[in-house]
Amino acid sequence: MIAFQVPVGYWLSLAVAMFAIGSAGVVIHRNPVVVFMCIELMLNSTNLAFLTMARYQITANQTDTLATQSSMHGQMMVIFVMAVAAAEVAVGLGIIMAIFRQRNQADVDDMSTMRL
Amino acid sequence: MSPDFSNVSLVILFPFLGFLVQALFGKAIIDTLGTKIGRTVCGALAVLPIFASFLIGLGLTGQLANLGEESRSAIVTFFDWITLKSISIPFELRVDPLSMTMVLIITGIGSLIHLYAMGYMSDERDYARFFTYMNLFVTAMLILVLGNNLVLTFMGWEGVGLCSYLLIGFWYKDVANSKAANKAFIVNRIGDWGFTLGMFGIVVLMAANRGSLGITDSRWLSFDIILPYAHQILENHPAWATGIALLLFVGAMGKSAQYPLAIWLPDAMAGPTPVSALIHAATMVTSGIYLLTRMSEWFVASPLAMAVVAGVGALTALIGAITAFGQTDIKKVLAYSTVSQLGYMFIGCGVGAFYAGMFHVVTHAFFKALLFLGAGAVIHAMAHDQDMRNYGGLWKKVPITFWTMVAGWGAIAGIPWLFSGFWSKEAILGTAVNSENPYGFAGLTVGAWAGWVGFGVAFLTACYMTRMMILTFAGKEQRWRIAHAVEHAHDDHGHAHAADHHEDHAGHELSPIFFASTAEAEAEQLALQEDHHHHLDEHHEPHEVPPVMWMPLVVLAIFSLGWFGYLLYESPQFSLEHWLGFAHGHGEEGHHGPVSHTTLLLISAVTSLGGIALAFALYWKKLPEREGWDMAKWNPVQRFVGGRGIDITGFSLSVGNMLGSLSKAFDATIDFVVNGVGMVSKGLGGVGRLVQTGYVRAYALLMQIGVILLVGYVILTIMMRGMQ
Repeated sequence: MIAFQVPVGYWLSLAVAMFAIGSAGVVIHRNPVVVFMCIELMLNSTNLAFLTMARYQITANQTDTLATQSSMHGQMMVIFVMAVAAAEVAVGLGIIMAIFRQRNQADVDDMSTMRL
Repeated sequence: MSPDFSNVSLVILFPFLGFLVQALFGKAIIDTLGTKIGRTVCGALAVLPIFASFLIGLGLTGQLANLGEESRSAIVTFFDWITLKSISIPFELRVDPLSMTMVLIITGIGSLIHLYAMGYMSDERDYARFFTYMNLFVTAMLILVLGNNLVLTFMGWEGVGLCSYLLIGFWYKDVANSKAANKAFIVNRIGDWGFTLGMFGIVVLMAANRGSLGITDSRWLSFDIILPYAHQILENHPAWATGIALLLFVGAMGKSAQYPLAIWLPDAMAGPTPVSALIHAATMVTSGIYLLTRMSEWFVASPLAMAVVAGVGALTALIGAITAFGQTDIKKVLAYSTVSQLGYMFIGCGVGAFYAGMFHVVTHAFFKALLFLGAGAVIHAMAHDQDMRNYGGLWKKVPITFWTMVAGWGAIAGIPWLFSGFWSKEAILGTAVNSENPYGFAGLTVGAWAGWVGFGVAFLTACYMTRMMILTFAGKEQRWRIAHAVEHAHDDHGHAHAADHHEDHAGHELSPIFFASTAEAEAEQLALQEDHHHHLDEHHEPHEVPPVMWMPLVVLAIFSLGWFGYLLYESPQFSLEHWLGFAHGHGEEGHHGPVSHTTLLLISAVTSLGGIALAFALYWKKLPEREGWDMAKWNPVQRFVGGRGIDITGFSLSVGNMLGSLSKAFDATIDFVVNGVGMVSKGLGGVGRLVQTGYVRAYALLMQIGVILLVGYVILTIMMRGMQ
């Protein structure tokens, strides 16, 4: 087993920081592509939190088979999140492309109504 | 085992079937059988149901009279009509002396009037429509008087209101007629407001007291529940007694044309003459008296309400009589005299002599129907001219009409002993001048004042009715011969023609759109071409009415004679006082008052004979100046009341304005509430709109703030728990 050299709190703090940066980016930026990247950052921060906790489960209770098994839940969740994020980006980018073709620009504030 | 009264349903059913037949098949009958035969058959089908009801009513009355005096009321329940948790209103009819008296008047006089209308309306295009309305009217009126609860009464009440609206506006193509119909309808709604609120008050009061009275039945509006308990309930609630009585009286004021709600009745003369006779003499206008008599227990509980009833009655009688002097239209004179006579009936009710009010209802129904139908016969003879100034010397031309109308005139003028009107007027005024009531002024009670005013009105009545008779029948001049020449010389006369001669169009409306078949329209076209006699000119020759029209006149005239009044007043077996069950009740109080019977008789004779003498002195010689075609030469008082002077300047206008501004204020309040609700939601929406920017970033930010708050709260709670 790999020893857990970096304390859990550090990983979680990193995840929180990434989430905060990401969400602030979503609010601040007007370019939809950048917004998407920020959302990606938030998703990744969540993934990091999931993974951290999964690893923590295993290291904390090495003798408990149940804990070993349930640690897999966190890792599975990460794979799901990545899959969904990929699908979301594919669809979202498609929409952004369509908008861009129509207007030659893509600004989230311009899309304050769904009407184009 | 009381006798079976379930026949009473037929009394209502027959006219209703008549109504259905007229409405569904009337036009088809006239079309298939041809105009002349078809109309006769159609008319007969309208008269027969009413007459059948009359016969059944007679049978029921006979059954009732055979019962003991105490058990003369039966309730026939048909089905549950309205059943709620706390109140049930079954469809139940009441057979008792009061309702049967009314039934006999309505169906008896009603069938005579229907018979008359067969002749009067024989030129009418919408023959079937007319009888449809008439039969429906009789149906509604019968429901009104037979219903054993106030809701059924109210149903009939609204039914007669509707039918009077339809009948007054029968010649709907004339805007003035439609206006008159609307006026009648709207003024009656004001009265209905009072009636419904009164009913509401009764329900509330009854339901609140059921515990203390031990009533298990929840038929709060049935007469057999509310009447026996009225005294017990009301003795502890004087304010309620006054309030409910006055509200019900407002309803009666609307239907029975009491000031200030009397304004609709004279205008209602726009309808055909049989309608005037049926609605405005015999039936609908008396429903107010019926209501007061039926609910008499609730009225006597409040001396204040009784004083108001008597006072309003006296005022109405006086104003109606004065206004009648200024009328030149024969039907308007009769309309104002109806208003005046209704005032008498309310005086009777207001002084506690409810039986006397009903007595006058009975006699008045006969003689006023007679007068109206007689006026109709005159109008018929004079080619639909209603202006009395154009008549003159008619008694030789229409002798039957004249002699029958003399009976009606004698009755309404109150000539002692000889005519029925004298007896009922005596019954009312005799009780009134001796009546007791805590309210009064100048040493006399309100009832006594009303009685003395009533004597004054009797004088006026004798005078203006004589004026009408003289102008119509007497005089050597045959004024219709000169009428034509004068007709266009004076403005007021032209105006009178425009405003009052609504009867004029039976032969003139030619559009075949409504109800008239093509054949009929063609016949009418022909009729118009040779319709020379439809205008008054030197060639006009008045003609007596056909038998179908004068026979009802004769019957009514026989019942206007003194024997009828004597029978209902003095004879032991037919006395209305005993029959209606008021003999042992509160009707007794005025019989031995300060004014003796002989004095009353003397005053009565002086007033009626004096009035007649005065009228002869004033109007006998030729056509007096004051009745000339030029109204400018009239004396100012008569000119003033000649238009609708008193109506317009008096109470009606101010009350009308008051009600108008009240309803405006009410309207504004409702608008304020409705708009207020709108404004509040709009304001709240405005706040919400501030956040709904449509910017994705703003939504994201809001979501984040929400999450932060939520997470912050959770963390805080956990920390607090940790500290404990």
